[in-house]
Amino acid sequence: MNQGGINKGVINNRAWLIAMGFAVVGLGLGTGHARAAADQPQSPPVYSAPALYNLGNSYARAGKPAMAVLNYERARVLAPTDPDIQANLRHVRETAGLPAQSGHWLQQHSRLANPDTMYWLGVIGLALAGVSLLLRRLKFKYRGALAAAASLGLLLTALGVWDSAATAAILDESVVMQSSPASASPIAGAEPLFTVPQAEVVSVRDQHGEFALIRDPSGREGWVARANLTPIIPQ
Amino acid sequence: MSMANPPVMNIPPVTNIARVKQLVAAATLAVLLAPIALAEPQVTERIQPEKISLGEAAQLTIATSGSGAPDITPPMVAGLEFVAVGQSQRIESINGVTRSSTSITYQVIPRQAGIFTIPGMTPGSPPLVLTVNPGGGGNTAPSGGSAPSSAPNVSAGSRLPSGSTRLAADGSAFVRLRLSKHELYVGEAIPVDIQVGTRDGVVASLNGPPMLNGDAFTLEKLSSQPDRSQEIIDGKPFTVFTWHSALAAVKPGNLSLTMETPLTVRIRRALPPDGGLFGNAGLDDLFNDPAFQNFFGASTEKEITVASTPAEFKVLELPALDRPAEFSGAVGHFTVSSELSDDKAAAGDPVTLRLHVTGTGNFDRVNTRMLHDVDHWKTYAPTAKFKPDDEIGYRGEKTFEQPIIATQPGTQTVPALEFSWFDPTTGHYAQARTSPLTVAITPAAPDTSVASTAAGGANAVTAATNSPTSSPANSATNSAANTPPDALRPDHVDTGRGSDSLRPHYFQPPYLAIPSALLVALFGAWFGVHRREQRARDLESAERRNASLQTEPLLKLMDEASVRGDSELFFRSARTALQRNLASKWLKPPDSVSLEDVDARLGTGSVVARVFKLADEAAYSGLKLSTSDFQRWKQLIIRQISGGETVS
Repeated sequence: MNQGGINKGVINNRAWLIAMGFAVVGLGLGTGHARAAADQPQSPPVYSAPALYNLGNSYARAGKPAMAVLNYERARVLAPTDPDIQANLRHVRETAGLPAQSGHWLQQHSRLANPDTMYWLGVIGLALAGVSLLLRRLKFKYRGALAAAASLGLLLTALGVWDSAATAAILDESVVMQSSPASASPIAGAEPLFTVPQAEVVSVRDQHGEFALIRDPSGREGWVARANLTPIIPQ
Repeated sequence: MSMANPPVMNIPPVTNIARVKQLVAAATLAVLLAPIALAEPQVTERIQPEKISLGEAAQLTIATSGSGAPDITPPMVAGLEFVAVGQSQRIESINGVTRSSTSITYQVIPRQAGIFTIPGMTPGSPPLVLTVNPGGGGNTAPSGGSAPSSAPNVSAGSRLPSGSTRLAADGSAFVRLRLSKHELYVGEAIPVDIQVGTRDGVVASLNGPPMLNGDAFTLEKLSSQPDRSQEIIDGKPFTVFTWHSALAAVKPGNLSLTMETPLTVRIRRALPPDGGLFGNAGLDDLFNDPAFQNFFGASTEKEITVASTPAEFKVLELPALDRPAEFSGAVGHFTVSSELSDDKAAAGDPVTLRLHVTGTGNFDRVNTRMLHDVDHWKTYAPTAKFKPDDEIGYRGEKTFEQPIIATQPGTQTVPALEFSWFDPTTGHYAQARTSPLTVAITPAAPDTSVASTAAGGANAVTAATNSPTSSPANSATNSAANTPPDALRPDHVDTGRGSDSLRPHYFQPPYLAIPSALLVALFGAWFGVHRREQRARDLESAERRNASLQTEPLLKLMDEASVRGDSELFFRSARTALQRNLASKWLKPPDSVSLEDVDARLGTGSVVARVFKLADEAAYSGLKLSTSDFQRWKQLIIRQISGGETVS
């Protein structure tokens, strides 16, 4: 029986080591890919919140509200709480005759920081919570400290998940570059249902050929020429 | 009557057995209902509250019991309206006496203030008095909320003709469309009332607003709160919810439109195929009342979708002949007017030109470019605001505002604005033209150049839209002093740090691998720890079982020793059993478990330590124990071996 128990233990240890090995390799690959993705361009970084914000200001001064809104929205992706970006975006929207943005509550209030920062905080939180809980399970000392660390880790993980949910909606959003008719069907010459104003931010629900089914902030839906839309997050 | 019954009742073929059952059922009912026939009919009336304000409603309840109850009809009182709200029936049997009672409820809606006397329903019954105070109520809906809505904010839909009513198959509900016309043009908005009628007591809940079927029409936003009213159809009370909206066709042709709504209805549970005691079709109607079914808990809920009768439309295409070049797709009846925010301004100062389009129709399609490419004026893209006059956005005013900047001083003329639309009544395009407007433009101030304003176009637009109401009196003075400031917040310092992608890490596959791998590692580690602990528990359990098997012969020896009164053999066996037991726990050979180990691990006063000492004492000095002592020690030792107390 002892022999059997020992064999079983060896097998379990092997399974555990394999899982850990797989995880380490996965982590390495993931971070490697991520680092490679980050290091790939040798040229200066393309997107930064200040650069996008300044670009938005330039377009606003040049009287191009759609381009201004596009760049402010992009800057806001990277710096969601920057008051200057929000103020200038609001100003340009008002200037263009657009109503105040009325996204859902989650979209308006739950962005906390740069999403990449929140991502890494979430990963660190996940690791912290997992390791702390594991050590507690192993009856390690300092159980109180481990419980606190696990709580902190879970909190960070929850913040990361929350932020990802809040950021997800931006993936489908586009800026209307010029005032466009929205039709009931994705065909040229279809009767327009309503007109989407320039610089409005719309959500793209579907695509068909050269047309995109959009939903405007007031909930109206219609097909708009894709050429008139520019996604906030470039494809 | 049968239309209202849920289709769950199957009438079996009549057999001899079934006939016997029917006779038994009929006889049982006759016995049960006999006291009803003998009972005197009683009618009671009650009105609550007895004092209300004009605009409120009271509730009149007429309850009848016993047999031969008179037919109740609502009383006729000048100045009061009686609307049937509901009816319920109850049969109760107390101490063998069966009673039946029916209750009818009316909403009493006063049309004027005063003291009203409602005559009794039966000869000799006292009249009821309702006092209606003036004011206070106004347009307030009746408290019950079930009286017909007075629709204070009358939308165009409220005067629409009634549509055809087709009840659902089970008679529980209907969806009805009220339309003003059935021939319309593409893009023409027409008011529509969507009515959902639900039978009181049968429909448990409305599970959503009415929805449009098909893609040939668009529906404007429904009115936020439906109106409620009561309607009697085929003698049954229905609560009718009415939503107002506007409908527009998006393509020409002969089109059909239906609306549907999901709801939950209460239906009767099917009785056994042979009919059971009350399975007689002739008795079906007796138990058909929803209140009766609810009373006996014989109903269940089911979700259904009820659709309206298809409404047929002939949708005409807008004519291409004589279509104005600036036609934007507006269909309806409109009037236009224009105005300027100032009649004096400095060159380079923005002035707001407004165009008001007022009327009825599809305002989504009301659009205009306003001024463009005009000499002596710099123009910007107009903005639009719509102010509806009703809750469905069919009637209202759309105002376009366009910032314009004069580039030369002098008396400048703002050209007339044109707006065209299609009039569905005449079937022709209509065009309106505003009057030209003049504005006195003074020379630009030294620090206010037209060129700089043009370069800062966004700022100019801001100034124009932010000060649309500036009066002509101060416009001349503020033109030079109040150069439009750069309302934008200043640029930021770019640190040069950034990312090659705007797509957050959450949504990039390589980065998704990191938390995934981390989760796998953590679950793997957790699983490994769990399995290791499980294995240790299994091992310990096996060792205990093994030790238990080894100690059994020793316990038998202890029994024999206690019978013989041999304390030396008793404690020697006990010590050996405890040594084997502890050896399995401490993972060492049994012989090496000494008194010193026991003292060190369990304490000198423990049961085990005492047994070890007594074994030595019995071996060397002889120890006399009574029978009860043997039993007590044996119990202590068994408890110790089985993992019980460690300290006596």
